[in-house]
Amino acid sequence: MAERYLALLDRILTPILFVLAIIFLIVGHNEPGGGFIAGLVVATAFLMQILARGDDFVRKLIGVYLQPTMGVGLVIAIFSAVLSLPEGAFLLGTWWKISLPGAGVLEIGSPTLFDIGVFLVVSAFVTSYLLELSRPARGNRR
Amino acid sequence: MDVNANWLSVPIVLPLIGAAVALLVSSRVTPKQTRTQRNIALVTSVTNLFVALFLLWQTAGQDQRVALQIGLWPAPFGITLVADAFSAIMLTLTGLLMLCVMVYAAGTLDEREGLNFYPLLLFLLMGVNGAFVAGDLFNLYVFFEVLLMASFVLLSLGGRPGQVNGGLRYVLLNLMASTIFLAVTGVVYGTLGTLNLAHLAQRMDAAPDSLRVVVAGMLLVAYGSKAGIFPLFFWLPASYHTPHPAVTAIFGGLLTKVGIYALFRMYPLLFPDLLTQWQPLILSIAALTMLVGVFGAMAVNTIRRVLSFHVISQVGYMVMGLGLALSGNQLAAGFGMAAGIFYIVHHMIVKTALLMAGGAAELTVGTGRLKRGYLGGLVKRSPVLAGVFFVAAFSLAGVPPSSGFISKLGLLQVALDAQQWWIAGVSLLVSLLTLMSMIRLWQKGFAGPQEDVVAPLRRPNLRLTVAPIALLVAVSLAIGVFSGPFFEWSSVAARQVLDRQGYISTVAPTDQILPIGEQSH
Repeated sequence: MAERYLALLDRILTPILFVLAIIFLIVGHNEPGGGFIAGLVVATAFLMQILARGDDFVRKLIGVYLQPTMGVGLVIAIFSAVLSLPEGAFLLGTWWKISLPGAGVLEIGSPTLFDIGVFLVVSAFVTSYLLELSRPARGNRR
Repeated sequence: MDVNANWLSVPIVLPLIGAAVALLVSSRVTPKQTRTQRNIALVTSVTNLFVALFLLWQTAGQDQRVALQIGLWPAPFGITLVADAFSAIMLTLTGLLMLCVMVYAAGTLDEREGLNFYPLLLFLLMGVNGAFVAGDLFNLYVFFEVLLMASFVLLSLGGRPGQVNGGLRYVLLNLMASTIFLAVTGVVYGTLGTLNLAHLAQRMDAAPDSLRVVVAGMLLVAYGSKAGIFPLFFWLPASYHTPHPAVTAIFGGLLTKVGIYALFRMYPLLFPDLLTQWQPLILSIAALTMLVGVFGAMAVNTIRRVLSFHVISQVGYMVMGLGLALSGNQLAAGFGMAAGIFYIVHHMIVKTALLMAGGAAELTVGTGRLKRGYLGGLVKRSPVLAGVFFVAAFSLAGVPPSSGFISKLGLLQVALDAQQWWIAGVSLLVSLLTLMSMIRLWQKGFAGPQEDVVAPLRRPNLRLTVAPIALLVAVSLAIGVFSGPFFEWSSVAARQVLDRQGYISTVAPTDQILPIGEQSH
């Protein structure tokens, strides 16, 4: 598992991938991107960590947080769907306007919230899936 | 009385919330956290059962339908959820069975407890509930996939070789069925331009015959292999005996019935006139399914395999109900549909009870093999378990005063009224063979002496194990004794299923896009 070049490379690439994921998440509201893609990008970052430093390293780092993250993501997504119930419909898009001094008005809607939930679920799910997949592969090599 | 349609989202969202909250505490696998997950799941499924009962009272009790347009998008464009009496009956039964199986699992589950068993059951509940209220073809497909994925993980949970083997067959054959389902969804959308069921019902009448035959045939293959009808049932006996008994029980009680529900829903709604010509085909499929199931049950030698084959033969009875409902005569169609729905109700309750009792016997003894007296002597060892198994087995075989007797009598009467003598004869024969098979299980598994002793890994907690079985058996007997109101409800459900115009006007699909905010609600 001495993937030395990867271990060097991932110090550069991992932050870039995380920033890219956040950009995708934000941009995804009006342009290509979105929570699902952003989640996959984050999982890619962890995949590189698995390849570079081994799955045990990643498991120790984030293993216990994966399933709770899925739970949090699901709760956020459901929350965004239930938010509009007072207005009479389930899953109706709801918007808030927050005026930022000097920077205009920020419009935040429940679709963004939903996307964040999807992002958390997908990133945690795909990462734990990759961790499980890397387990038997190591067993075979021995 | 008008009901807030948002109630319809609860059977889908509530299990999802329960599963999400249960996942929050799953960072470490300890008995304490498993207990927390179990309690969350129990609270969720009790609430779900109450909501389902409320919906049942709203629909079957008041004889009306409820439709929810999600996000206020008008019908053919958005996602529509519809519940009529039939959906509500299925939702209620699902809630009841899920609750019973959770209690049963609390009494029997061992080393696999830590591995998120209860959240998976909640995901399964979400998929099944969603399939029962889905108002368009694509969402039905999505919920089929949700329940397929949850059930695949439940099947292979624990990861013993036999389980993985059974799970692979299960998922491969079911994925094939799903692919056909997806393909037919594409065909429908490409030719008719809509997937909303009510909208489809309007447009299907004008569609050419060739298209209707193709769509009806492909739907029969897709739903039929989910339901386990005659040539497409192979996945079921290959996989159902491998997982934990609680999983077998919920699968045998619920999953095939989702396919049956879809057949009952689609055919009268989409192809009302075409299918009167298909009645001989459907009835012969029903007869073959019954016979193959019951003969298969005679050829296998572990208790859960025998019971899995009986799932198939019982599915044949339900398809028989559908076949009888396809007659051109309006009155006969109503009776056939009502008898079929009543049979589904009876079967879901009794089959789950029986599979739970068989699984408990297997766990108590340590093996489920009927040969050479491995399984035996349970009458002495745990008479209560033997007692509930006895009642459930004879209810399945159709001995009065159980629900099995009433439901088989109903089907038989409809068949005789419709002068379908041969299917009546086959159903009587299969009934007799089922009784024989149940007697064989009883004699070998329970009454006879145990000759070879196998040490069980872990004794189940008998109180928690038997209580849900006893509850279901009591419900079955209650249905048999007080069959009047229950048959009344299935008649209401059957009338609503056959009433296409009512369904269409409840969903009210529109061909015009109104700007949001200008529509009246």
